[in-house]
Amino acid sequence: MSKPNDLVQGTLDLLLLKILALEPLHGWAISLRLKSISGAVLQVSEGSLYPALHKLEQEGWITGEWKQTENNRRAKFYSLTRPGREQLEKEAANWARLSTAISHVVRLEEA
Amino acid sequence: MRPQHWLYTIPLRLRSLFRRRDVEQELDEELQFHLEQKIEEGMANGLSEKEARNAAMRAMDGLEQRKEEMRDLRGIHWLTDLLDDAHYAMRSLRRTWGLTAFVVITLALGIGMSAAGFSMIDGLIFRPYAVPHPSSVVTLVSTTHDSSFDNFSYREYLDIRGNTKSYDGAIASGAIQGVGFSVESGATPRVRGGMLVSGNYFRVLGVDPQLGRGFRDDEDEVPGRNAVTVLGPDFWKHEFASDPSVVGRTIRLNGTEFTVIGVAPETFPGMLMFLRPDFYMPLAMARLFSVNPQKNFLEDRDDRELSVQARLNPGTTLQQAQNELAVLAKNFEREYPKLNRDRGAAVRTQFETRTREDYIEWKFIVIFAVLSLAVLLVACTNVAGLLLSRAQTRKREIAVRLALGAGRFRLIRMLLTESLLLACFGGLAGIAVGYGAIRFLQTFSVPSELPVTLPFQLDARVLLASLALSALSALFCGLAPALQSTRVDLVNGLKSADVDVPGRKRLWGRNALVVAQVSMSLMLLTASFLMMRGFHNGVAAATGFAKDHLLMARFDPRLLQYNPAQTQRFYKLLTERARATPGVQSAGLTQRPPLGLGAFDRLAFVPDGFQMPRDRENYTATMDTVDEGFFPTMGIAILRGRGFQASDTADAPRVAVVNEQFAKHYWPGTDAVGKHIRLESASGTSVEVVGVAQTVTYRETTEKPTDFVYLPLAQHPIARMLLLLRSSGDPRQLIEPLKDVVRALDANLPISETRTYEDVYRYNAVEGPGVGVELVGCMGAVGLLLAIAGLYGLVAYNVSRRTREIGIRMALGAGPSDVLRLVMGKGLALVGMGTVIGLAMGCALEQLMNFMLFNAGGVDVVAYVIVVPSMFLVTMLAAYVPARRASRIAPTQALRYE
Amino acid sequence: MSTKEQRERIELLQGTLDLLILRTLLRGPVHGHAIAKAIEFDSDDVLQVEQGSLYPALHRLIKRRWIAVEEGTSENNRRAKFYRLTAAGRRRLTIETSKWDTMAGAIARILRPAEQEGE
Repeated sequence: MSKPNDLVQGTLDLLLLKILALEPLHGWAISLRLKSISGAVLQVSEGSLYPALHKLEQEGWITGEWKQTENNRRAKFYSLTRPGREQLEKEAANWARLSTAISHVVRLEEA
Repeated sequence: MRPQHWLYTIPLRLRSLFRRRDVEQELDEELQFHLEQKIEEGMANGLSEKEARNAAMRAMDGLEQRKEEMRDLRGIHWLTDLLDDAHYAMRSLRRTWGLTAFVVITLALGIGMSAAGFSMIDGLIFRPYAVPHPSSVVTLVSTTHDSSFDNFSYREYLDIRGNTKSYDGAIASGAIQGVGFSVESGATPRVRGGMLVSGNYFRVLGVDPQLGRGFRDDEDEVPGRNAVTVLGPDFWKHEFASDPSVVGRTIRLNGTEFTVIGVAPETFPGMLMFLRPDFYMPLAMARLFSVNPQKNFLEDRDDRELSVQARLNPGTTLQQAQNELAVLAKNFEREYPKLNRDRGAAVRTQFETRTREDYIEWKFIVIFAVLSLAVLLVACTNVAGLLLSRAQTRKREIAVRLALGAGRFRLIRMLLTESLLLACFGGLAGIAVGYGAIRFLQTFSVPSELPVTLPFQLDARVLLASLALSALSALFCGLAPALQSTRVDLVNGLKSADVDVPGRKRLWGRNALVVAQVSMSLMLLTASFLMMRGFHNGVAAATGFAKDHLLMARFDPRLLQYNPAQTQRFYKLLTERARATPGVQSAGLTQRPPLGLGAFDRLAFVPDGFQMPRDRENYTATMDTVDEGFFPTMGIAILRGRGFQASDTADAPRVAVVNEQFAKHYWPGTDAVGKHIRLESASGTSVEVVGVAQTVTYRETTEKPTDFVYLPLAQHPIARMLLLLRSSGDPRQLIEPLKDVVRALDANLPISETRTYEDVYRYNAVEGPGVGVELVGCMGAVGLLLAIAGLYGLVAYNVSRRTREIGIRMALGAGPSDVLRLVMGKGLALVGMGTVIGLAMGCALEQLMNFMLFNAGGVDVVAYVIVVPSMFLVTMLAAYVPARRASRIAPTQALRYE
Repeated sequence: MSTKEQRERIELLQGTLDLLILRTLLRGPVHGHAIAKAIEFDSDDVLQVEQGSLYPALHRLIKRRWIAVEEGTSENNRRAKFYRLTAAGRRRLTIETSKWDTMAGAIARILRPAEQEGE
């Protein structure tokens, strides 16, 4: 049974790419960032975060690098690659197109 | 996908494939880090450690599950699919291991034969010169009315070098010649192969010595000034044990001290195909190594002994170089009308040089290439046929897979993976077969003191070609069956496994396969049979002289600076004393015995009273210089007139002996004895023909009868001669007595090529060419084997497919003989058709072979009388076995057969 | 590439398909095929609803009693199943609509810097 609030894959990819476009982060920081940006609305389960990151890495859109955190722990930091940047633009455009279309349908009668 | 994408993904995939453990560990570490952070957060919010840990684990939705999910994501689907396919293919291949083994062996033979063939072709024709930018190196040749590949003289070379603009340099080199080599001045010199080259040789070729330096351009300017030498890599290794201090040392070549200035690199075996020079000397030192004392090599414009090669300028086309050289040749002709009459010049590429029509190897290669391709083709059709049959029997399995939703593409890929795997195995085994064949070719050691090497080797080029062949054959063998069997009608496929829906077209294809196979094999067999017969006939006919009880030894007194008079006296004494040695029945001298090593000289002459055509000055024929003992010792019969006598001295009237072919050619119908020929031109020295010798084979056992002239040594002095001793016992026992004789005459004179004539003959006339003949014979046998197996497989398959039909027929009253007739009839028709086509192809090939090799003339009926019926018989047998099995099927069993 | 985009579109729609179906049924009962047609038409063909995802979604909504099925006759006099919104469905629609608004808004907020970057 899928949770209604679970963000579907495409949108999660989009968000992750966007977050990493701003600065390289490790998984934990990404999960915090996701929460802080979107508030409680977009609850990405922490379990589905890592497979999503893994997928993006395998696609070559993000790349991981082991570095020290500010409190001297080893963590895998992800950053956007150049193909990732292109993918982000593509996904953002796609999202814009779809969300406009959906909003259009939803607001049909009010308009 | 953009290429830069791969930049990131490929290393990742490789890593997940090969560093699986590292990847897993990092995954653990990453998730662990997250959990710890989460727990810290939970504890900061007032939870106990245990509560925080539980909450963290809950948030993760099961750690192991996530890890599994991530493993799946690692995106090596295409690879895992491929591995799956390969795994599946392996399983199904193992299930039918008999068939697999057969297919692999078949392919191995086909690919191996082709690899061996290719290595031969590559070695003899395609392998580029071992220098940088080999394709810009061209060969300049002097052309005459009867030779399109003549050499240039030293003076001509200098003119070419000085007056052409097309090249980055033109180099000249002499032939590899025997040179007396010793390190100490007192030691007996040994004969080694040296080569005279121009000073710019190494510079123009772009070859950097591995030690010391190459020649300088100015080192061939002043005759006799620069006694320097560059060693060949093999010679350096064997003679000096790779001692680097050799540079700067002096060695003695033909008695003169030479300073070693460098060693050629390992990568440069020289520019010749079979011979690797032991050392190089500058052209200006030529006087020391002159072969022809009557000529002044450095001055005479008609002493044409140099092969000239040049490196084309980057911007110059072959045509431009050609035109420039043609103009130069015209100038030569104008300035030296006597010496350069009708002489042109041409620029030839490496390919043209190697395929010049007077190389026998070239013709042999064409036949060999055609045949080895034919073997591969037969092998491939065979395998395709087998896979096709197999695909038929797997129809049900494929139908099930299709019904379960496998895509057609996926299935084709799966089937192709199978044939690719087969081809891989076949290719690997084929390389082994090819390697064996090449090793076999290499085992033939040439009995010569010159450094002869056969250029066959299994190098990267051959391997690459074999792999390409494997891949191609996989595609060829696998694609048709894959396409066909996945075009299964689902319902029919599931309903009954092996009942073929009658399809004329499909049957037609398979029948065509059998016909093609039978005809190909027949052609192969005919060809190999013809070749063997032609060869053995040639060997049998090559008697005409006695091959046994003959010892040979080569001498060259020039190595010790003998003058012509000394040389004459030496040979006179040598033969006299040799004849007096116990165990020697007779002794004779020759430049080169028939079917021995090396090339005969050519004699230019005009038969007296002959009106020469306007465009030519003389005729030429191969010739030998012999003494009076040669004919009796060699056992060549004098048919009319006399042989040479001791009285044919330098002061006596000039005489010659011609062979029967020569006599028939120039004086048909009349006796040649008493006729005269003039040497060089109509105004040249007159020589009387005093005898006609029996025509023998001179260069190879399969040659056509050739014109041949003998001149007496006393009237035509040659320094480098071969002594022939006819022994009463084992000729080898004469070696020591002979050495004593020579030592008594001159202790410093080297003896070379001391061996029995039989050894040389066996190598040169029997084993050498025999290798090729045996190979072709092998291919014929392999072809036949393949055809039999193919036919058997096909008929057997046909029978198994028609088992139900046969059962019905038998239930309806047909007897075993009817069934036999039914099954055999089809096979008979196919074999008949294949035989007819194969016969036609065999005839065509025979014409080609006659044209190129044997000139036996006409069609060799015996070959067909033997080959065709035996082929027919054997293939029918292949059809009979399964047919008989079919006729014994019990009707009930057949009807139940599924 | 096009198949991949399509796949993403479908995935995205799964979360919002319920919303779109409920919204379409607000205009009155229609049969299944007409729902897909209407969504496509209303979105200028940007949103394409596959049969494969439409019927499972309808089934799900019926189970949750947000819509109901009734037999009827189509324009061309063929018998067909008609779907209509229930009262529970109407309430659900307002919830889903506001959810969509918040989600779209949140994503738009995150994405906004990208738009600024692009300009």
